[in-house]
Amino acid sequence: MRHLAPNRRAVLLALGASGLALAARAQGPVPQVSDAPAAEPRDTARRVPFHGPHQAGITTPRPENGLVASFDVVATSLDDLERMLRLLTDRARFLTEGGPVPDLDPALPPADSGLLGPVIQPDNLTITVALGASLFENRPWLAGLKPARLQRMAQFPNDALDPDLCHGDLSIQFCANHPDSTIHALRDIVKTLSEFLVLRWMVEGDVPPVLADARGATPSARNFLGFRDGSANPDSNDAALMDRIVWTTGPHEPGWAQGGSYQAVRIIRNMVERWDRTPLVEQERIFGRTKMSGAPLDNPDATEHHVPDYAADPEGRAIPHDAHIRLANPRDAESQRHLMLRRPFNYSRGVLPNGQLDQGLLFICYQADLEAGFIAVQNRLNGEPLEEYVKPVGGGYFFALPGVRDKADYLGRALVDAARRT
Amino acid sequence: MISPFLRSTALGLALAGPALAADPSLDLVGPLSDYKIFVAENTAQLVSDAEAFTAAIKAGDLDKAKALFAPTRTSYERVEPIAELFSDLDVSIDARADDYEKAEQDPGFTGFHRIEYGLWSEGSTQGLEGHADRLLADIRELDSRITALTFPPEVVVGGAAVLMEEVAATKISGEEDRYSRTDLWDFDANFEGAEKIYTLFRPLIADGEADFVAKVDGNFQAVREVLAKYETPEGGFVSYEELTDSDRNILSAKVNTLAEDLATLRGKLGLG
Ligand code: HEM
Repeated sequence: MRHLAPNRRAVLLALGASGLALAARAQGPVPQVSDAPAAEPRDTARRVPFHGPHQAGITTPRPENGLVASFDVVATSLDDLERMLRLLTDRARFLTEGGPVPDLDPALPPADSGLLGPVIQPDNLTITVALGASLFENRPWLAGLKPARLQRMAQFPNDALDPDLCHGDLSIQFCANHPDSTIHALRDIVKTLSEFLVLRWMVEGDVPPVLADARGATPSARNFLGFRDGSANPDSNDAALMDRIVWTTGPHEPGWAQGGSYQAVRIIRNMVERWDRTPLVEQERIFGRTKMSGAPLDNPDATEHHVPDYAADPEGRAIPHDAHIRLANPRDAESQRHLMLRRPFNYSRGVLPNGQLDQGLLFICYQADLEAGFIAVQNRLNGEPLEEYVKPVGGGYFFALPGVRDKADYLGRALVDAARRT
Repeated sequence: MISPFLRSTALGLALAGPALAADPSLDLVGPLSDYKIFVAENTAQLVSDAEAFTAAIKAGDLDKAKALFAPTRTSYERVEPIAELFSDLDVSIDARADDYEKAEQDPGFTGFHRIEYGLWSEGSTQGLEGHADRLLADIRELDSRITALTFPPEVVVGGAAVLMEEVAATKISGEEDRYSRTDLWDFDANFEGAEKIYTLFRPLIADGEADFVAKVDGNFQAVREVLAKYETPEGGFVSYEELTDSDRNILSAKVNTLAEDLATLRGKLGLG
């Protein structure tokens, strides 16, 4: 239930229905059912800088809405690929900055879908472009340039992969405050890049907003199993930490790929009906955290940010050895190598043929090394008790390109330049 | 010289309404009447092909009926851009099982695809006689209507883009000829039909829109190159199943880009 401030509640209680209408009229227009919900200018006008050493949408604080679309690329020459990347950059730059859409002759189809009206609000939109291993295959002019760890996602034991929801030559992650902004951006890209991009799959998700505390801080958002998700994520504001965990660097990667990041996307169905019939203690032991606060079970009265002390619990009494958090990160000396930055969204896609809700986690994580990060951690998680309640059905591995430095730069320029040299 | 107005009425062309807004310097009448001739030729061909096709069904000649199925359809698929001018017949000639609640078992399901279902999935001509009679009657009716049919320019010009939309929405996925897998025959005819319209009107804009025509020409050419890989020596096409993913992607990208570009053709010609 939403908690109304006491004075407002008192006013509402004191007024009858007609009194309410009167009071409202005195304050301003009474909204009609079909009036647009009032937007907050402080949300819609907010802009995430497009230019920088890294792409936005990775260490950027996650807004309410996210969408991942995966495409096959039609580019039979390096020139084609360059034209595609330049055009994609132009659109992403415009969409994330916002501004008026051009007016065309009304006898022509309009330049823009019009979803957001004549002036695009930036709405915290980020557009993050990443390449799949298949882009590099069968294109001899890109030979030798594939990022060292990039590979086609292979099946894990609990997976039931749907080929229509897997892989792709190129992924685009769109995130924004409002779903219309991500949809608008996707439609723009689909329209303006139809020559190059053929959509394979797309999943939309969101995370619930939470009221900020007195200091303006919010806890981690909850996923569709009702647990706080993100509590133990590394600090995305710690640039040195991000350099180590998220951004690719080093001589084992091609020069053009420095400053990018490996993106693992997993579409993981949650069996929510069954989960909701599972005793709370069992739910909590599966994750190793309390459901409401997110505190680790070794200190259930602490906050979600309390660091579990596995050394003090060698028998796994408080937090079982096969609890999700203990498997994912046993916090031993080795574990530092396997860290990743998770940035998931919850999805809900209607009903399955069996009458159950098709809900789950659009799991997205970023890491400097795909094998040490996602793949190693998923291998540790194989067989975890959570598997009874989740089923990965799709996704793919991609490499998020390094950032676009300025107006003259474009996404993937370093790759194209490197290909021209070879 | 007779006035364009007289010429158009004589041809049964409707240059009224939105067409009045057309750029008066553009002579739409020539391309429209050429297009009408193209349609008439195709429907006449369709009638004779359908006669042979339905005769084979009624004679119980399964192999012959199967062999004639795809080639018979091509003249229909070529004129599909203007199917909205005979939408009642389009439904009974070319509807698919998904258009009916009971799919293949639905008593309302008839036409080419009902026959295709019988020939391939049920492997027999039996029970198809009624559908064959109906198809031939519908096709004859279509052919007889063409002479009197008015061809609104915005429908003809718009038809090229509409057909690309159709291909993009329900054909590229291989839904059209799902029992016989002869989809590539249809693609080829659809592209030919759309390109015919584009080619007829192209001279009217070629000077002012050099980039546009270069791009559209290039995309039609790319489609032809992909389809050529799948042609058989007899002039037909191999099964849709042989289309590789990468070629399907190329066709898909081209068809969407053609749809995007051809959608501007009406506006470029000043048609509402
Ligand atoms: C539907 C599937 C999943 C659900 C519902 C889920 C949920 C959670 C929850 C509730 C937490 C505890 C809070 C937190 O630290 O964020 C957590 C932690 C974590 N999860 Fe998952 N997760 C899922 C899949 C995955 C996958 C596929 C991976 C990676 C392969 C993963 C890796 C992690 C990691 C690394 C942690 C932090 C552990 C720590 O550092 O203590 N999760 N997850």
